[in-house]
Amino acid sequence: MSKYSIPKHLEVPIGACLPSPVKEQPGMITGNWRTERPVIDHEACTTCLNCFIYCPDGCWHLDEKTEQMVWNADYCKGCMICVNECPANCLSTVNELEFPDGVIRLEKPF
Amino acid sequence: MAKEVKTQNMELAKSLRQVDQEEYYVPGHRTCQGCGPALVYKLVSKAAGQDSIFLGPTGCMYVANTSYLCAPFAYNWMHTQITNGGAVASGIEAAYQVMIRKGKYKGPLPNIVVMAGDGGAIDIGLQAASAMMYRGHDVLFVMYDNESYANTGIQVSPATPYGANTTFTPPGKEVPEGRVLFPKDAPQLFIGGHPALHYVATASVAYPVDLINKCRKGLNYKGPAFVHLHAPCPKGWLFDARKTIEIAKLAIQTGMWVNYEWENGEYTYQHTPKEYKPVKEYMKDQYRFNHLTDAHYAKMQAFIDARLKAPGKPIAIPVQGPREQA
Amino acid sequence: MAKEVFYSGCAAAAYGAKDARVEVISSYPIRPYTGIMMELSKLVANGELDAEFVLGEGEHAQVSIAYGASSAGARAYTGSSGVGVVYAMECYSPAAGGRLPCQMAIADRALDPPGDFGSEHTDVMSARDQGWIMGWAESPQEVYDNTIMFYKIGEDRRVLLPQFCCQDGYFVSHIPGKMQLEDQKAVDEFLPPFNSPHPLNPEKPINHGPQIYADQGSAIDVQRAMAFEGLPAVIEEVVADYNKQFGRSYSPFVDEYMMDDAEIAFFLQGGHARTARFAVNNLRKQGVKAGVARLRFVRPWPTDAVAESLSKVKAVGTIETSTSYGGATRGGNLVHELMASLYNVPNKPLVTSFMAGLGGEIVTLDMFYDMAKVLSGAVKNQKVNHSYWVNFEPEVPFRPE
Repeated sequence: MSKYSIPKHLEVPIGACLPSPVKEQPGMITGNWRTERPVIDHEACTTCLNCFIYCPDGCWHLDEKTEQMVWNADYCKGCMICVNECPANCLSTVNELEFPDGVIRLEKPF
Repeated sequence: MAKEVKTQNMELAKSLRQVDQEEYYVPGHRTCQGCGPALVYKLVSKAAGQDSIFLGPTGCMYVANTSYLCAPFAYNWMHTQITNGGAVASGIEAAYQVMIRKGKYKGPLPNIVVMAGDGGAIDIGLQAASAMMYRGHDVLFVMYDNESYANTGIQVSPATPYGANTTFTPPGKEVPEGRVLFPKDAPQLFIGGHPALHYVATASVAYPVDLINKCRKGLNYKGPAFVHLHAPCPKGWLFDARKTIEIAKLAIQTGMWVNYEWENGEYTYQHTPKEYKPVKEYMKDQYRFNHLTDAHYAKMQAFIDARLKAPGKPIAIPVQGPREQA
Repeated sequence: MAKEVFYSGCAAAAYGAKDARVEVISSYPIRPYTGIMMELSKLVANGELDAEFVLGEGEHAQVSIAYGASSAGARAYTGSSGVGVVYAMECYSPAAGGRLPCQMAIADRALDPPGDFGSEHTDVMSARDQGWIMGWAESPQEVYDNTIMFYKIGEDRRVLLPQFCCQDGYFVSHIPGKMQLEDQKAVDEFLPPFNSPHPLNPEKPINHGPQIYADQGSAIDVQRAMAFEGLPAVIEEVVADYNKQFGRSYSPFVDEYMMDDAEIAFFLQGGHARTARFAVNNLRKQGVKAGVARLRFVRPWPTDAVAESLSKVKAVGTIETSTSYGGATRGGNLVHELMASLYNVPNKPLVTSFMAGLGGEIVTLDMFYDMAKVLSGAVKNQKVNHSYWVNFEPEVPFRPE
């Protein structure tokens, strides 16, 4: 059998073993899924951490320095669980198209 | 073979503030909006931490998470067949026992966790799960319960509730309720029958700190533990994605899901409502139950009422099996 | 200290695994390989082997436990026979494709239906597409030697593949033979501890086996094929080293007996080769120039070595010991790959498939003489049937006058 060269976009590491990601997985950007996004009113927020704990995509975090919730635009799918579970009513649902950076685009189509 | 193998001690969180902000199930996975199992994965990952080895039997939490050629697990993770999550975990645990004993690995025993869905835990994967618990491996077996074989397009599983519309149990003239059978009681399959198993718990995404702590308690046991985690599925159960937690809470408020622990023979219950809402409250917002009549709801109510007399314990089921019906 | 013993194939496998210092063993009982696990359990129980002896709940679980242990970086060992081998079928590709070099001892057995404890190669031969290394030993000594050599081959960084270390059920697994157990230190030197390049280790975490999209499927497959491409060279190296270190004389791929001037040849794998050699001795006394070519590896199939070994004979018959119902020759499995190996050889021999040694049947000297008659007749008439069920009288006689 001859040796064959595998094109770069089909390359798979041996045994399909990849290094584990740290902090995020940019191979699956999901921010471009959403049609609406949650917007936070920091004044009204009580940092109860509901949004942090209930987000299936880990898109809310508490910045310990500013004591404010930080939202991840790259990955938020716009499921609105956080808005639904916020006891302080500080989260509102806003259409993506209202934002200049609305609807994240991938460099190439998926 | 007597050298003691050091294990990790996972501290229980007293409040949400004590839960680590760091994610080990990182953003960037192809799960649905509002996916209950994804939330379970996130919480169990927080419970287990970085020094872990997770096994992912085939299912939504394999395919959706790792499409394509990328995965969101910051710790060690390996795919297994849907049939053998318990067996592969057993092999890994045995390997670490001998490697630590021989000095080939210097650290404490990694937290080994099987993340199985309904099928991988109590249907096609039941044999491997049971054998792992019988042999006493130091592994946490997690069943994320989205009440169907979701990844293949929502087919019925032994965890699917009575009356649910799935693509293998569609309602029709011959079968008005769609799903005729009542589901297996997953914790009861394992409780009492496996002498080396001392901890079984149920938890829900509705109470995430409780879920994390139960997983940590399970991990802290030097032996197997089984946790059954309720993971509402917007796509399969047909409800608005934003309502995942709401639905999970309603399940507990209606008695369709009960949070409890079975620890060394004793049952303790958590989040028991003072008064149970009727099951219809929970079922009416899920389109998978949309075809049911009052007679069907009554049947479900009778089943739940009986079960609530002793949740997690063997009870007489007040419904007829398919062969018993006229 | 090397020790001369009188062991069955089962014991030989167990002691091979012991000297290979296997670390995780997964057991489950099924005849006739069970003796391997019974022996290993004693060695573990009395502290002679420091390993985890995991009581598998079935053969599917055994292989899962083995490849799980391998994924963590431990040297894993398991085994089975007959229907157990086929029950585990789902797990073979994940182990091979995941590049997890565990070893499975096979003492072959006929498949159901109905129950039949006798030897037949069909059980693990039906797994030969799954990407494992596979080869038959003909004696307890070779079982022991292969156990050690197969780990060295499989764990080589250029290979990283699991191995089926096979022996004939009963004929090899249960009949004791004189053999040598080697000195543990010498084996340690030949076979260092398993050092996985991709273990599930918290020091360097990996995600092993994510879902791929369909386009990448063939890329993974060609990668797996190329692992087999490099394999024969590794086999040659390892066998040569083992021969030198322990004073053996194995050919890497085809064990030849009186093939130099043979006109007819028996092509087979496993224990019946011994009887074949006696038959050849007697046939030679009668002026029949017969020879035996015994295959040591069915995966990787050594195409070039097989072609070279058989290109000069005039007729060759495979003694199948396995079935492939409805196959091209209506014979067994070896014949098809043998024909493929000879396809481009000029003046290639006539090839036929002898269905013998099935279901546990003893292949007797008389059967070999019958087969020799068929092959000699084939040379004379320059034609031969695709296959013959030896020991059964065909409705239209085929034996030449």
